[in-house]
Amino acid sequence: MALMQITDLTMRFSGIVAVERLTFDIEEGSITSLIGPNGAGKTSAFNCMTGFYKASSGEILFDGKSLIGLKPYKITRLGIVRTFQNVRLFKNLTVLENVMSGAHSVTRQSVFGALLRTPAQRREERGIRENAEYLLDYVGILNKKDELAKNLSYGDQRRAEWARALAAKPRLLLLDEPAAGLNREEKDRLIELIHKFRADFGVTVFLIDHDMDLVMKVSEKVIVINFGTKIAEGTPAQVQSDPLVVEAYLGVSEEEGGAL
Amino acid sequence: MVFALSKWEVLLQQGVNGLILGSFYALVALGYSMVYGIIKLLNFAHGDIYMTGAFVCLSVFGVLSGVLPGWAGIACSIVAAMIFSAVLGWLAQRFAYRPLLGAPRLSLLITAIGVSLVIYNTVMAITNSQPLFFTSGLDNAAGIKIGGITVTYIQLILLSVAACVMIGLTLFIGSTRTGKAMRAIALDQDTCRLMGINVNKVIGLTFLLGSALAALAGGLACVYYGNVQYNMGYTIGIKAFTAAVIGGIGSIPGAMLGGLLLGLLEAVGTQLLDSSWKDVFAFGLLILILILRPNGLLGKSEIERM
Amino acid sequence: MKLLDKAFRLLGSKGARYGVPAALLLAMTALPFFLDDYALHVLWNAMFYALLALGLNVIVGYCGLCDLGYAAKFAIGAYTTGILMKSFGWNFWLTLPMSILVAVITAVIIGAPTLKLRSDYLAIVTLGFAEIVRITARNLPITGSASGLNAIARPSLFGLRLTKISHWYYVFLVLVVIFVFISNRLRHSRFGRALAYIREDEDAAQAMGVDTTRYKLYAYMIGAVLGGVTGSFFAVTMTSISPGSFDFTQSANILLAVILGGMGKIPGVIAGAAFFAIFPEIFRDVPIVGNMRMLFFGLLLIVVMITRPQGFWPERKRG
Repeated sequence: MALMQITDLTMRFSGIVAVERLTFDIEEGSITSLIGPNGAGKTSAFNCMTGFYKASSGEILFDGKSLIGLKPYKITRLGIVRTFQNVRLFKNLTVLENVMSGAHSVTRQSVFGALLRTPAQRREERGIRENAEYLLDYVGILNKKDELAKNLSYGDQRRAEWARALAAKPRLLLLDEPAAGLNREEKDRLIELIHKFRADFGVTVFLIDHDMDLVMKVSEKVIVINFGTKIAEGTPAQVQSDPLVVEAYLGVSEEEGGAL
Repeated sequence: MVFALSKWEVLLQQGVNGLILGSFYALVALGYSMVYGIIKLLNFAHGDIYMTGAFVCLSVFGVLSGVLPGWAGIACSIVAAMIFSAVLGWLAQRFAYRPLLGAPRLSLLITAIGVSLVIYNTVMAITNSQPLFFTSGLDNAAGIKIGGITVTYIQLILLSVAACVMIGLTLFIGSTRTGKAMRAIALDQDTCRLMGINVNKVIGLTFLLGSALAALAGGLACVYYGNVQYNMGYTIGIKAFTAAVIGGIGSIPGAMLGGLLLGLLEAVGTQLLDSSWKDVFAFGLLILILILRPNGLLGKSEIERM
Repeated sequence: MKLLDKAFRLLGSKGARYGVPAALLLAMTALPFFLDDYALHVLWNAMFYALLALGLNVIVGYCGLCDLGYAAKFAIGAYTTGILMKSFGWNFWLTLPMSILVAVITAVIIGAPTLKLRSDYLAIVTLGFAEIVRITARNLPITGSASGLNAIARPSLFGLRLTKISHWYYVFLVLVVIFVFISNRLRHSRFGRALAYIREDEDAAQAMGVDTTRYKLYAYMIGAVLGGVTGSFFAVTMTSISPGSFDFTQSANILLAVILGGMGKIPGVIAGAAFFAIFPEIFRDVPIVGNMRMLFFGLLLIVVMITRPQGFWPERKRG
């Protein structure tokens, strides 16, 4: 059984249909991408999957459990962790505190633990901190852990965001336009990194992007949508030769498709 | 009162009073709703703009009444109050709010509290914390009698002015280019910028309009109640916000409806309860509405988010 | 501003981190031996404001919620204690748990429905609720109507009846230490961090698994409890309470102390509160400044929000 199964997902708001009867699977351990021109409904689908939008109809199953009607924090606790298109770190907190937030969904201590500072609470705190430091080292910015997130360069902010997502111990990592704002060289490194995440943490990766180049290189399966409906699905090679895709997406020159 | 009024007549009389009170609420609520709709700011200083309007009206009439007594003088004073308050509201927008439009909402709200403190305490210092009294020279009691109910001429004029202004505003928002720009900005500021709309100018205009309406209410209240005090904006500020929420914040007809409804409920409620509880009644209603129908009666829900 | 930052950085160095508070505490302990009752009363008042500011800080500073009716929280504590002692003859110390309970219940009634909504609705609801509390206190016989409750008995502690201002000075000093301890522990914990995540970016906090509605309610409850306890102690120190002590100006003062001191920073918040308690004492006889001080604070608030939204206390560098 696939890790995530999306069936007939439809998302409508104020009369506009953003996503219509979208159906696809994400296999455990795979790298799957959802692509489409701007305004095709990628972000709406993504927000439905993470609970930020409420789907109008359809079903989203994760490991056999329905995600419909669950709030974002509950979805995160199930092991589905997202990043944001424009990197949304907690700007006025340190990089370390940012990464420690990832541990929130996999730890327990609350108000009384905080006040009493029990041995269990202290152990947990130490664990959260050490794991965060390990992950910062893993993405290569441990030396910046005490800086405020807003003072990091854009590239480092992205790294911090990945470390934060990994700290939540995801089974499924959802990346929202991870290549936005990166140059060619950085994109190549991103591709390596995504493979490394999967190898080192055993996560399944799902990403949305309109950058054909990146998506074709990194993915094992690609789903193409346009005007909210799926127009193709398959391996990068299959999708690239699909006449519908060529017309809807590749027909437009790549610069135009990538812009906006 | 010499006449013994029946219970129903008392209630109806209270209804007329409630309508007056409600138009004040509605006029002030409009400013809240317009500003909230366009920049999502709970403009805390809006009640103080109303109070300023009342003061300017009283002061100008004090000078004018020798030359232009009666309604002509009152009208001129109210217009002067509207212009003054509109400029004041615009200045607050330009120098206190605009620099913070990209900042967290909390900063914007706190700045609005700062603006409120400044206006409130300035007027308090000028008037030495004393109430001022307004003598219009008009016959306050003259009016039409229908059964046991009296509707004074002042009340009639007041209601028709409020009605005309609200109809005018509805037409303005609905059919002019600027009105359309206002609605568009409320929906999506960034796109409006791309479409070449001067967003800052339209926001400024919203403040001008909203403040002028509040000052109109202030001026009318000054004529109607005959006294003005530096703290009169505080309670009406919260209540007008309540009215805006009842109608659905961001909605222009909602603000009018909410205002009138709150005025009526309060007037009738006061009749049934002790009058010292009337503010408890209004604020209790606010909390209840927020629990039961947070988008108000005419408000549209935003994109449904979990 | 730069110079100010530098001076503060010096204060923030490692040795100073524990040294300065310890020295301050020592000085505060010794002060009653050198000061007259009037000066002690001013300092007591400063500590009273510090407690309120620390309580509100959990709501505003830690969680980024706007509470415009904090005076109502301490009014509820003060009246709970006052009524239980006057009308039911309770011992003061037993009224404290009741005060906490009432604070929690009212926080849930106000917070649970509104915290789900746009967060600035909380501002207006707290404001409205504060008015409800004040008007209710003014109208009910059990709260003593407009004249309030008078001649509330002074409690005893370990056989000593707390009657002198120096007694209350020490009681409040201990309370400040406890509140700072609580604030500090909350801040540096999973719970406190979750509040900071909500303050910084609610969506991202949700995405990291924080149940934002529930945590906002917790923050609101803790703030209400701290305010309620402060109110209970206020009632027995002053021995009389009346609706006039709980108006909007009071709420605004506390909020100003928290914001100008620097939201979320404990020393900043205490400094802000001390400033607000002591400033009027200094200028009470200067006629114009005395009347215009809120005007001045209003201007200051606008300028601070635009130029230095983090308040006067400097940025924290370490996590």
